[in-house]
Amino acid sequence: MNNAAPLFEVRGVAKRFRRGDAAVAAVDGIDLVIGAGELLALEGPSGSGKTTLLQLLGALDRPTEGSILFEGRDLAALSDGDLAHLRLHAFGFVFQQFNLIPTLSALENVEAALAPAGVQGDALPQRAQALLEEVDLAARAEHLPWHLSGGEQQRVAIARALANEPRVILADEPTGNLDSKTGADVIDLLAGLAGMRGTTVVVATHDVTLAARAPRRVAMRDGRIVNEPTERPAAASVEALESRHLN
Amino acid sequence: MNWAVFYLRYIRRELSRRRARTLLTVLGLALGVALVIVISGLSNGLSRAQKTALNPLSSIGTDLTVTRTAQTQNPGFGGGNDAGALLQANQSVITDLSKLGKPGTHFVHDFFLPGTQLTFPASQGARLKSLPGVAAVAQGLLLVAEHQSGTVPKIVARLKTGGQTFNIRRRIKPPTEAEQQQIQACLQKNGVTIGSPSTTQNGTGGFQGGTGSGRRRRFFVGPGGGAFAKCLPKRFHQLVTRFTTPLQSYRQVLDPPQTNIRTTPYTIGGVDQTQPDIALVTPSQVTKGRYLSQAGGPEALVAGTYAAKEKLKVGSKLDLNGTSFRVVGLVSPPLGGQSADVYLPLKELQTLAHEKGLANVVLVRADKSSSVSSVKKEIENNLGSSAQVASSSQVADKITGSLVNASNLSHSLGLVLEILVAAAAFLLAVLLTLSSVGKRVRELGTLKAIGWTQRLVVRQVVGESLAQGIIGGLLGVGLGVAAAAIFDAFGYGLSATSPSGGSGANLLGLGNTTLRTAKQTIDLHAPLTVELIVLGVALAVLGGLLAGAAGGLRASRLRPAEALRRVE
Repeated sequence: MNNAAPLFEVRGVAKRFRRGDAAVAAVDGIDLVIGAGELLALEGPSGSGKTTLLQLLGALDRPTEGSILFEGRDLAALSDGDLAHLRLHAFGFVFQQFNLIPTLSALENVEAALAPAGVQGDALPQRAQALLEEVDLAARAEHLPWHLSGGEQQRVAIARALANEPRVILADEPTGNLDSKTGADVIDLLAGLAGMRGTTVVVATHDVTLAARAPRRVAMRDGRIVNEPTERPAAASVEALESRHLN
Repeated sequence: MNWAVFYLRYIRRELSRRRARTLLTVLGLALGVALVIVISGLSNGLSRAQKTALNPLSSIGTDLTVTRTAQTQNPGFGGGNDAGALLQANQSVITDLSKLGKPGTHFVHDFFLPGTQLTFPASQGARLKSLPGVAAVAQGLLLVAEHQSGTVPKIVARLKTGGQTFNIRRRIKPPTEAEQQQIQACLQKNGVTIGSPSTTQNGTGGFQGGTGSGRRRRFFVGPGGGAFAKCLPKRFHQLVTRFTTPLQSYRQVLDPPQTNIRTTPYTIGGVDQTQPDIALVTPSQVTKGRYLSQAGGPEALVAGTYAAKEKLKVGSKLDLNGTSFRVVGLVSPPLGGQSADVYLPLKELQTLAHEKGLANVVLVRADKSSSVSSVKKEIENNLGSSAQVASSSQVADKITGSLVNASNLSHSLGLVLEILVAAAAFLLAVLLTLSSVGKRVRELGTLKAIGWTQRLVVRQVVGESLAQGIIGGLLGVGLGVAAAAIFDAFGYGLSATSPSGGSGANLLGLGNTTLRTAKQTIDLHAPLTVELIVLGVALAVLGGLLAGAAGGLRASRLRPAEALRRVE
């Protein structure tokens, strides 16, 4: 497994936005390798470029410079359709604002991720219902998002992110709108479900205590990685993974 | 269809859970569709009304009508003095009251006058058939009828005798010798003594003093005075008689008759029923009953409006100067030119109006529409300037009234209005959809993030708009049908007026009756056709698609990362 190609290979990636006359770099000169099954925390204050990097990893955006290889494929070379296919099957997103479809029930929000993957007929609600059971929300399946608490909404979002068995879950400040207790519960749930499936998790957060719980932490400032250790004990990662798998 | 279930449910949720916006979009589209349907319906109704009213000649297969209108100058068609001819033609209006019946009895009589539209022998009209470009020619007789009823008036002649006396003085010749002797002899015989005849020897003697010897002699008129009178010669008798009878003078004044006669004017047309296609009235104009039979006979067609006024129905009897005509059909004659209230077979009207062998309208059909103007010229050259040759378009131009106004309005404004209304509805739908997409940027971005393709997201947005369009269209059709039904129920009469029965000057005071205009009131309806309803729904769907396309385009331009960066 260690010899396999890394899941993500980020090389010299920059993303610049034009703001008036000045070009602002949201991220600049990022080099990062993420292995399969890792749980990685991207930490840093607001505006440090965490979200932008997460979106670049999740093929929601294309870098201005550099390249991102996912499972050895350069995302820049893929069409919009291919990227959408990747997002559907390989990536799962969890957002700070939960981003549930307000007009759809909890169950339907999960179905919204399953339907484009071709799940249909009775299988659609059955699988959605099973996913809600995994996040312990089966009883609230028919509720609309605004009838759910923040924690419940984020659990629906996690169920939705896991719907198509993605290889990576990209979570952007998943606890940012939750109190610390609920936030901790949500992170535990996410880490647990991802661990069971061997899913890689990248969590962007400004919460140091949350970041501290991740086996690997990448700190960002002003669009750059400031403390990513180039060498790290591979065993630690393997141990952490194994211990999580055993949970 | 299985795959679509989720997306359809999503559309339904989207529409039902964003009710206010959905309602606004749907109502906007519905209102637009309803207005377009109503306006189109009214426009159709107007066109239909216009077809029946405004295009009179073409609808009866006639291209040209030829009439001869009285003019004060320019003898032409038929020659002669037109004023004289006009008087002659309308002679029958001068009523011989004695022919109506005994004074004091009730009478009903119809007078038929050609008015200013002069008659001419039918053969002259028939002559036109030989002109180049003429396909068919039919004769017609269009008369102004005065239906009169009332009490036959007494003709009162008052005679006044005057007491004036004429005095006549005359010298009377004295009796001759022989007469004197005769008188004397007579008197003696009756015992009247007169002086000795001897004393009269050298005088001439006589009743008065003679010229003789100067002696005065007298007659003695004794008890035999009567005898004296008796003995006078006859010549003296006569003279006496004349002078004793007073002279009388006469003065006679004839007042105009006092009457309670009521006059109802109407127009009557003699139809060449053997050529129904180009006759004054054609079978296609029959709205009830049937057309005049080919053979003619005492049958009549009555214009619908006139029938309603006079309470006539199919099967009613129409009594015209002793001849009973059976109403066989009601017609809706076109306005303009040569229309009438009552139509009879030509021969019947000719007999009735004492116009045997005469006509005053020639209806001409050209062999093809392109030759109409050349035929018109040909006829004008052939018949001279007193012949009026009118083409169907000219007749239509003379028609005025609210129908024409409304029709013009509908033609010029209707389409503009429809486009405006539809555009407004579309714009509303587009704006609402754009605003909806704008508000749902994050939602749509999320969909992209969770793996929805561009196509799926756009399809969803378009689908929502389309669904709104379909609902709006159906609702709009409902509204439009209801509005049209309300319009029909309340009705709105439009009138069209056209000059009828010639266009001459006001001659002989007949102008009032002869220049009567024909007025037709047509209830405006908003007929709805399947096509119109389909059009309505199609419009709404189009509006929905348009809005969807606008929204979809906007959604497709959304980069998911930007979409997610937005915070509502």
